[in-house]
Amino acid sequence: MKHAVIPSGASLPELYRSLAGDYPKFFKMDTLSKLGFLLAETLCKDEPGRFTPREDRAIIVCSREGCLANDLHYAASMEDFPSPAFFVYTLPNIVTGEIAIRNKWGGETSAFVMEEFDRERLSELAREAFQDKCTRSLFLAWIDCPSDTEWVAKAWLIDKEEIENQILD
Amino acid sequence: MIRVYCHGYGVRTPLGNNAGELLQCILEGRTALKLHTGVFGCPVPFVASLFEDRASAPGLSFFESIAVEAAKDALAGTDSASVALVLASIKGNVEKIGGEDVSLAASARRIADALGMEIPPLVVSNACISGLAGLVQGFRMLRSGRYSKVLVLGAEVQSKFIVTGFQSLKALSMEQCKPFDAARDGLNLGEAAAAILLSTEEGPWEIVSGAVRNDANHISGPSRTGEGSWKALCQVLEGINPEDLAFINVHGTSTVYNDEMEAIAIDRAGLADVPVNALKGVFGHTMGAAGVLESILSMLSADRGVVLPTRGFSTLGVSRPVKVSASASKTDKKAFIKLLSGFGGVNGALLFRKGGER
Amino acid sequence: MELIDEIKTKVIEALNLEGMTPDDIDNDAPLFGDDGLGLDSIDVLELIVLLEKNYGIRLATPAEGKAVFRSFAVMASYVAEHRSK
Repeated sequence: MKHAVIPSGASLPELYRSLAGDYPKFFKMDTLSKLGFLLAETLCKDEPGRFTPREDRAIIVCSREGCLANDLHYAASMEDFPSPAFFVYTLPNIVTGEIAIRNKWGGETSAFVMEEFDRERLSELAREAFQDKCTRSLFLAWIDCPSDTEWVAKAWLIDKEEIENQILD
Repeated sequence: MIRVYCHGYGVRTPLGNNAGELLQCILEGRTALKLHTGVFGCPVPFVASLFEDRASAPGLSFFESIAVEAAKDALAGTDSASVALVLASIKGNVEKIGGEDVSLAASARRIADALGMEIPPLVVSNACISGLAGLVQGFRMLRSGRYSKVLVLGAEVQSKFIVTGFQSLKALSMEQCKPFDAARDGLNLGEAAAAILLSTEEGPWEIVSGAVRNDANHISGPSRTGEGSWKALCQVLEGINPEDLAFINVHGTSTVYNDEMEAIAIDRAGLADVPVNALKGVFGHTMGAAGVLESILSMLSADRGVVLPTRGFSTLGVSRPVKVSASASKTDKKAFIKLLSGFGGVNGALLFRKGGER
Repeated sequence: MELIDEIKTKVIEALNLEGMTPDDIDNDAPLFGDDGLGLDSIDVLELIVLLEKNYGIRLATPAEGKAVFRSFAVMASYVAEHRSK
């Protein structure tokens, strides 16, 4: 089980330049998606066969606030000129789509919202995800970013066997 | 292997609060879609299915109120304390953004409390497939053996936030939508709440399997090859012979690209001969509620031996020869597939079968 | 500033084209597709908003937009001809 964290307030453009650098669409993303993208880069950038399309890795992103930071940007824009670029990020699961596109993971993607970070509940969610017989590996993240400057962002890369009888590290 | 069945259900829609009556409305060709001018403070008019009476229960928002009402019908007679809640919604209370806590987590807590549910609720917010993904999640929770009953509750209300957003994407039609039709030019938004009580006890309909797959292609544009939808279909088809399917109830938003994508996915999956219907012409795109609401109506119609008509459809306007049901027809088959797709490249399929049919 | 450079500056900002300056973009280069700036369908919609917000030009459909957004040269002449502010 691999684990990654992005400290609250870290410079995301700097992290992007050190981890990726070849994906200008990063700068179009909302903060939630940037965090998800960078967590996946951290966990997978040295994986053999990176970018070979695969269906056996699922993506789950959980949070309390969903995409609130971006929702506030859209709400501000809608009073005069509603911004389509903000609106498309007003769904809590767009981050899972951004990770799927970048990494060519065509498996299951899900976004969940719950009241608080709960290691046991997340472990349970992981086991439930592995009920899909196609899923052998899981990118599971807790990314709560109520604003563009403060967040909790952590992720795990889990193989099916690693979560059967235990909870997240 | 633990099996999962659908028991009670409840609906709240602008066309009726009783699923049986709603089914009758569909058979009579009625619709709740109409032009709204100046509603929610939107500067540009739009066609949608909206509740007229917007009264809220004490301590709850309107969104939470309709969710609780639909849930109560589904729970009728069940001790709710041991039922787990899976709420499916995309934007919840977003109309109140800027002031109070508009999180779906807070809404789910208030809904669970109002229903006397003691297990911490879970929210699925997986774009337009949220309701279907909620059913998949409920199915898995029951199969894990940790729960005996799960209430899957899909709900969505409209607001300036959502309407102006879809307008900015140029995704709304100024007429009543026309799923799969040659003249289709966009979707209509809708409001609804719908709930299904899932249980491991044998019941009238079984959820046989469900699958969610990502196109890994674009965050707002459907795949040109129907990739994720086709993969999700293939996965659930492992549980059934296509000849036993009464119909596929599709997403059918009436956008040019969605309907074309679904036609490609259905054809690729070898299902071009299975009747296809879509219900967005009746109550619009109810977003987080769609998967639950459309599954309930599909079960009820199959119970009555009917393939529901696709209101708004007349001339096939997709590149593949899918069998869209323009009018109601009879069926004696006891299984169907519910199909949905959404932003973020997400697609889902669910296979339902009449209990005791295998 | 010349109109074409003003438009380039606004587009770079609106579409978050990180690290680009107006001088990096050829006036006649295509905005869409892999040989150009690689803009996509959401960018087209955002450019439609940009024209309305800054120049009072209303384009009804993305298809209309695509014709106007062929290159910055085409865009600048369209704006010069149709602007109402």
